[in-house]
Amino acid sequence: MSRAPRFRLLLATLVLSPLGLVYAQDIPDNIDGFDFDSVNFGDDLFDQAQSNTPAWLEPFTFKLSQQLFAQVNEHSVTRADGSTDRNNAAIENSRFSLLTRYQNPFAPGWLLQASAQAKVYWPGDYEYRANDERIDTEFRLNELFVQRSTSGNSLKLGAQTVVWGENIGNSVLDVINTSEFRDLTIIDIEDARLNQWLLVWDRFIGNHQLSSFVNLYPEFNPPPVRGSPFFFEPAFNLTDYRRDQALFEIGSQMRWSLAGSDVSIMAAYLYENQLSYSAPPSGTGDAQSMANDYLLLGASANRAIGKLLLNLDIAYSHDILVNILVTPADPREAAYLATQKMNKLGATLGFEYAIDNDQSIMMGIAAQGALSPAARLAGNAALLGDEVTGNALLRYSNNMRNGDLQLAVTLQSALDAASVLGSVSLNYTLSNNLALMGQVIATSAKRDSALATLDQDLRMGMTLSWTF
Amino acid sequence: MKQFYQCLTGGALLCAALTASSSTLAQMSARDILEKVEDAQRTTTNSAFNRIQLSSCQFGVRDNQITCAERPRVKALESVGINFGPQNKDTRSVSVVLEPPAEKGIGMLSVTYDDSDQDNETWLYLSALGTVKRIASGNSDDDTEPASIFGSEFTTEDQDTGKLDEYALTILEENTESGREVWKIESIPNEARARKTRYARTVQYIDKERFVMLRADMYDQHDREVKRLIASRVELINDVWVARSLTMMNLVSNRLSNMAILEINTGIDVPEDFLTQRTLTDVAFRETELQKLREQID
Repeated sequence: MSRAPRFRLLLATLVLSPLGLVYAQDIPDNIDGFDFDSVNFGDDLFDQAQSNTPAWLEPFTFKLSQQLFAQVNEHSVTRADGSTDRNNAAIENSRFSLLTRYQNPFAPGWLLQASAQAKVYWPGDYEYRANDERIDTEFRLNELFVQRSTSGNSLKLGAQTVVWGENIGNSVLDVINTSEFRDLTIIDIEDARLNQWLLVWDRFIGNHQLSSFVNLYPEFNPPPVRGSPFFFEPAFNLTDYRRDQALFEIGSQMRWSLAGSDVSIMAAYLYENQLSYSAPPSGTGDAQSMANDYLLLGASANRAIGKLLLNLDIAYSHDILVNILVTPADPREAAYLATQKMNKLGATLGFEYAIDNDQSIMMGIAAQGALSPAARLAGNAALLGDEVTGNALLRYSNNMRNGDLQLAVTLQSALDAASVLGSVSLNYTLSNNLALMGQVIATSAKRDSALATLDQDLRMGMTLSWTF
Repeated sequence: MKQFYQCLTGGALLCAALTASSSTLAQMSARDILEKVEDAQRTTTNSAFNRIQLSSCQFGVRDNQITCAERPRVKALESVGINFGPQNKDTRSVSVVLEPPAEKGIGMLSVTYDDSDQDNETWLYLSALGTVKRIASGNSDDDTEPASIFGSEFTTEDQDTGKLDEYALTILEENTESGREVWKIESIPNEARARKTRYARTVQYIDKERFVMLRADMYDQHDREVKRLIASRVELINDVWVARSLTMMNLVSNRLSNMAILEINTGIDVPEDFLTQRTLTDVAFRETELQKLREQID
């Protein structure tokens, strides 16, 4: 071996050994000319390592992550009113997190499962800045439920998720749980979904599964966190919902499989995840929040045709709130915003295609709109915004280097292309426990878009994770 | 992962290496021998409950021994499966990942059909998704590139079964391998098969007494040996010889993978409702049923 390669090898060994990536003592000789006819592995080449983990720790999985993310494109953004904002190049996320998962089938037919997350926000993180330039911490319980299963039934009580719909990412039926898109490092619904306290009963009858839930403490999407890219200064304080009446949600889904297809039908009485706010009567202080109940009827199905999978979700929402603009008859009075109950029909149509064994592409288009708005609106009222709204989601993934390197490209856009988000991420699995992800996210938005302040932003970052 | 289970349910290369019947016949054709190996394999993978560890690493040579140049990547999983359908050639199986920690709990339900006109069916459960997801997987006999199994050097091609008609089979010689008397059998794909395979020629070493494959050498179209499979730890389990350790060396990339069968249990009574989507999501149910399977073994 020449000196330069030896030096590089030594350097690599010194750098990587603490991470467990290199067997320093096992750096092999050159294998050129080795006689593989006399190959000898030695009996201990792949002996199963004896676990030293105490039995009480076996149900746990831990994931430590350090994330660093920055907006790197310094530029000005013009708002709809013509004013401009300066988007500086700056670190947005510098945070350490510990995710703990516990899964213990402690007795026949019983399971206790929990997961929780603790985060530390370092200097540079927007939550550090929002905390008066002090290191901030956060703890969140994600899951905590106990499950009892018998031959044909299962009961789960506690904080958990219920996911409806076949499309991933933008299903019109995925509305049982609330969600929190706190910043642009969380752009997938599966990462943003928040657990709710539910009692879930699953009944298994042959090829059919009847799944029902009751939620006696419905929660709502949390408001944006101060300092985050999605935060805007509201005119009034946005507080938690004041529970002056008992709320509950209930729903059922029947799901069954046919050759090449899965089919579901569902019905639920729900509250909209997003609270509706109005100005306080006094004109100052806390905004008034209103929870709106509605009825959801839905159906979903998929169909596999070779390497193509088609997905369809349909949702009919009865008495859901829509924003309207009311123009008073008196021209001296200003037009004002209001809400009105209407019926909505929505659908997500998507497909997934396995290009080959390593590459796949997925697309979903979601659209929804009020049914017969003209017939239900007063003559001086009009829907605020487009009659049909929705979004499109495109994902491409490629597993390279035997799955150690995973490329994911995501493109999300409003149906009218008022805002577009593109993301490219590379996840490199360094060892059995260590992974490094790099991500670039670009956003573009029109002046009148809700995401106008993110126009021309370019974010780059990486996350180092240790799972054990 | 789907393919990972299949290797235990029907692999001409892998599964020939895994199992064999205990009888010996003096005069057999190459096809007779390989059919016997496959038949024996089917009897051992039906109603099976297995635990497998798959380790991969870049390899080199030290002190005349093959050694890993890096800490091996380890994947472990538990599988339960049954054969069904015409001639018991279709498979229904559930596999759950035990290691690495980042993938722990991922589950897959697969139904594979021997009939190439019928698409296989696969459902995947990822806890992050929170739901069972159907995967469009096509048919294993599709004209596609062989896929790596769990990022290892084993590929779906190494486990294809029931394809003996598509090969010209010849006994090259009778020899010894690892101290055992073997037949060296050469398999050359026909024109149709050649379009789907990366191997222009394969030479298998079949133990004459145990009908288990001890070694296979795979060659590319330039007659260069590109891979070698070595079987070891051959044990008699339920009257069938089983190689509990298989090592596949990629001689081009100098990477190797070892498939260790940590547990192999066959002939167990698998409840019909266990091989359903419920097993993927209902951990309490799954663990209860797995415990019942373990009690059958004990």
